[in-house]
Amino acid sequence: MPNDLERTAIADQDVDFHVIDRVAAEVLETMFFTEAVANGCDHAWFGSAITARIQFEGSHVGQFLLGVSLDAARSMAAGFLGLAEDEMTEKDCRQVILELSNILCGSVLSNRWPDSRLSLAPPELAGCNCCKEHAVHRCFALTEGALSVTICCADAPEPRV
Amino acid sequence: MKPLVVGISDCKVSRDSDAVLVTYALGSCIAVAMYDPAAKVGGLLHYMLPESSLDAAKAQRNPFMFADTGIPRLVEALTAGGAIPRRMTVRLAGGAQVLDSEGVFQIGKRNYLAARRILWKAGILIAAEAVGGEVSRTTRLELATGRMWVREGGDIDRELLEHRASPKKVMERV
Amino acid sequence: MAFSVLIVDDSPVMRGFIRRVMTLSGFEAGDCWEASNGEEALAQLREHEVDVILTDINMPKMNGEELLRQLETDARLRSVPALVISTDATKDRILRMISLGAEGYITKPFTPEALREELERILGESHAQ
Repeated sequence: MPNDLERTAIADQDVDFHVIDRVAAEVLETMFFTEAVANGCDHAWFGSAITARIQFEGSHVGQFLLGVSLDAARSMAAGFLGLAEDEMTEKDCRQVILELSNILCGSVLSNRWPDSRLSLAPPELAGCNCCKEHAVHRCFALTEGALSVTICCADAPEPRV
Repeated sequence: MKPLVVGISDCKVSRDSDAVLVTYALGSCIAVAMYDPAAKVGGLLHYMLPESSLDAAKAQRNPFMFADTGIPRLVEALTAGGAIPRRMTVRLAGGAQVLDSEGVFQIGKRNYLAARRILWKAGILIAAEAVGGEVSRTTRLELATGRMWVREGGDIDRELLEHRASPKKVMERV
Repeated sequence: MAFSVLIVDDSPVMRGFIRRVMTLSGFEAGDCWEASNGEEALAQLREHEVDVILTDINMPKMNGEELLRQLETDARLRSVPALVISTDATKDRILRMISLGAEGYITKPFTPEALREELERILGESHAQ
């Protein structure tokens, strides 16, 4: 039987997942014309993914990581720009993914912590889709390709073993 | 009033001011209505699926089955009829999430997203829409006036009006 | 009537998205200026008259909040309406930006149509004044 701390951790995680799922769907459908369905994690695509990272600080401290498979990145970027995929440059594609990470990060964090005061660093491309701190992680199947969201908080309590 | 019926995977364009373009049984399908008030030409497309790459052979036989082949052809036909895209009022109806016989959600949402994506690429903004939910819809476009009505589930038509800036300031929304 | 706009956002692709909405919205094309932060925005405003400022909040060098504070202190610029476009959906931030003089606040993500509607409201109101 889980104790109070574990029940809180489980309930918090459910809230985290619910917010991430809802916000990811809204962001991707509204400006990137893509349906996103949360699913079980299959990370085979991580090796060739585009990953963006945003550091945040203030009432919470940590980083937000967005991983996007190459096919999803190209499709979403072209949609956002109003171009065909072959009309788009690689630089434009990367810029769009950085902006996607900015919108997802800001939207997820302000919905998850509506009373927070956070400062977000500019998004940057990252080498890997991994973090060491306590993390919430969610994977999505898109109309084309896949996407993952990871929120790593430096100030979250360690779950009891 | 002369009803011109647009079937499933079908498209009609007309300048006849007596005509009313009408399409039925919009479940997960999308109806795209376009009207140029200056040229008094309008068109209605009823498509079933988002992307022609799903079945290229079918798209060859009937481009109106798919959003990515149907919508550009609708725009072309209207332009050939004297319409200018930036003058056109564009409205959407349909895209409901309905279960098929195997209990799987159909692709109403994908059809809707496909329309939005293609129209954004074409540089066309959407004036109004009646989409989503779980009800089947019927819609008609009156060519004398460019007015559009939607019937959702029941038997009462409502006019699909353009969104107009609300006087409500942001403070009232917070 | 032609409208001139200043778009302030550190993302070039977001500036492009907004610029495209302006063009497609049917506003008579005026001048469209761009800046990637508040400092650049103030430099643009010293050179050009604009009818509306569209600004993000989170930007390097000078953020949108500081930009609005600077605009409030300038007799000429204080009357130019500013529309905030930001990912920050917290009530605290929205109220703060309104108290600094923002005429409107749109949260990202937004549809092109929602931005058009907000622009029509703001430009319609300032045109009517």
